[in-house]
Amino acid sequence: MVHLQNVYKTYKNGVNALNDVSIDIFDGEFVYIIGETGSGKSTFIKLLDGEEIPTKGLVEVNGVNVGKLRFSKVPLYRRNIGVVFQDYRLLERKTVSENIAFALEVINKPRREIRKRVREVLEIIDLADKAKSFPDELSGGQQQRVTIGRAIANKPRILIADEPTGNLDPERSDEIIKLLEKINGNGTTVIMVTHDINLVEKYRKRTIKIEYGHVVSDLKEGGYVHNV
Amino acid sequence: MFRMISRHFKEAFQGIFRHFAMAVSSASAVTFTLVLVSLLTLIVGNISQITRNIEESIAIYATIAEEVNEDEIPSLQRQLEKIEGIISVEYSDKDAELDRWIASQGENGEYYESYREDNPLPRAFLIRVASGYSLTAINDRIRQVHGMQDSEFGGVTTENFMKILAGVRRIGYLIIAALTILAIFMISNTIKITIYNRNKEISIMRQVGASNSYIRQPFVIEGMFIGIMGAIIPVIVTIVSYRYVYQEMGGKLLSNVLSLLPVNPFAYQVSAFLVLIGIVVGLIGSFLSVNKYLRWRR
Repeated sequence: MVHLQNVYKTYKNGVNALNDVSIDIFDGEFVYIIGETGSGKSTFIKLLDGEEIPTKGLVEVNGVNVGKLRFSKVPLYRRNIGVVFQDYRLLERKTVSENIAFALEVINKPRREIRKRVREVLEIIDLADKAKSFPDELSGGQQQRVTIGRAIANKPRILIADEPTGNLDPERSDEIIKLLEKINGNGTTVIMVTHDINLVEKYRKRTIKIEYGHVVSDLKEGGYVHNV
Repeated sequence: MFRMISRHFKEAFQGIFRHFAMAVSSASAVTFTLVLVSLLTLIVGNISQITRNIEESIAIYATIAEEVNEDEIPSLQRQLEKIEGIISVEYSDKDAELDRWIASQGENGEYYESYREDNPLPRAFLIRVASGYSLTAINDRIRQVHGMQDSEFGGVTTENFMKILAGVRRIGYLIIAALTILAIFMISNTIKITIYNRNKEISIMRQVGASNSYIRQPFVIEGMFIGIMGAIIPVIVTIVSYRYVYQEMGGKLLSNVLSLLPVNPFAYQVSAFLVLIGIVVGLIGSFLSVNKYLRWRR
């Protein structure tokens, strides 16, 4: 469960990224966060994964007060949150399965467990046949699926996807959304930041719109609200 | 645990080989530094030894006034022992003084045997001091003690010589410290490049929740290894050259007081010290860069 209560974030350079934002996202939800570039979406993600602390207000994720989290506890906290980026961030010298395994190696999981989980993840992202391929041998959509696979390898309770379809054509975007829905179906909370209006309209889900650091709409039934 | 350590070592070596030229150049900076450190340590170590030898051979010779009775001597001795900086006070009576005199005169010594009955030599205290730097001050205080006739030591020259040695030693320490800091920065720069090369990997590690110490370790190992690499040549140079110098000079400078420290164990101790500096320098250097990079911007 994600609980933001009267959250303000002002950066050192004086930019007010978020103003009095209160949002509750419950376990198992699939939520879109939409808004223009510079609206505060990225700050929202950074507050959730512990990269930034709120200037004022409460950010609570799975019962953890993220703003008060001790420096050394951040890595441990992050193991419960998977993050997917628009630019994939895959390691070129590692194969698909090595990229997924990497996320488990660095948190020191036993080798046998890693092998088992990598097989499962490859099934989920439907890339079992590409396990030994390198990222540059894959299409954009496939690379994004690997990134998602890496993010869910550690079975996080929350998956945050930052513009996961930003670099993809509509068809590939559909694949990504379906994959995210599948992951959501397994009980993982999915928070997807996007400005792809077509997707938001096509796959209706709870949609929160942020503008100039304020939540301007929060529609349970989904869909895009045009400003009047 | 073992799995983690082997991974870190693998990554550290990969780091070194990926930018081998850079690793070699900073290792050679360490080499250069350590050769100088070695030279200075050899000099400083021997100066310490020489200082010790001189200190051991310094004694203040204080004579006792004629009017002092034999039974007053113990209390006089106690008074002297209380003076700060004095280690021991040894009493030498008239007979002993004559023996010493005769012994110091060599072949002609026997001539003085006739004075045994009517010994003109004063009784004396042989005083040992803790260090050679305050000889004059101690000497003056001895003279002020009631019942003392006179007090003398090797002279101001000895004290000055000791002061010069101490100065050289201090300058040596300063140069060693400065060079060590320089080497730390060289290594820290190399590690910075490794970090830069692995930027993406680190950001992913952080994202998926690898602990800071896990991320830090390969870099620290790499830094330490570069430090060890840099120490190899200085160790060889130290052992070979010190052995050569020691043998050529017969183990001493001019006189036995200025004797050199023996090759075994001194050259080996210095070598171990160099390897240790290499490791510590690598450790601190890499720690600095990694910590700078990993510092949370929260």
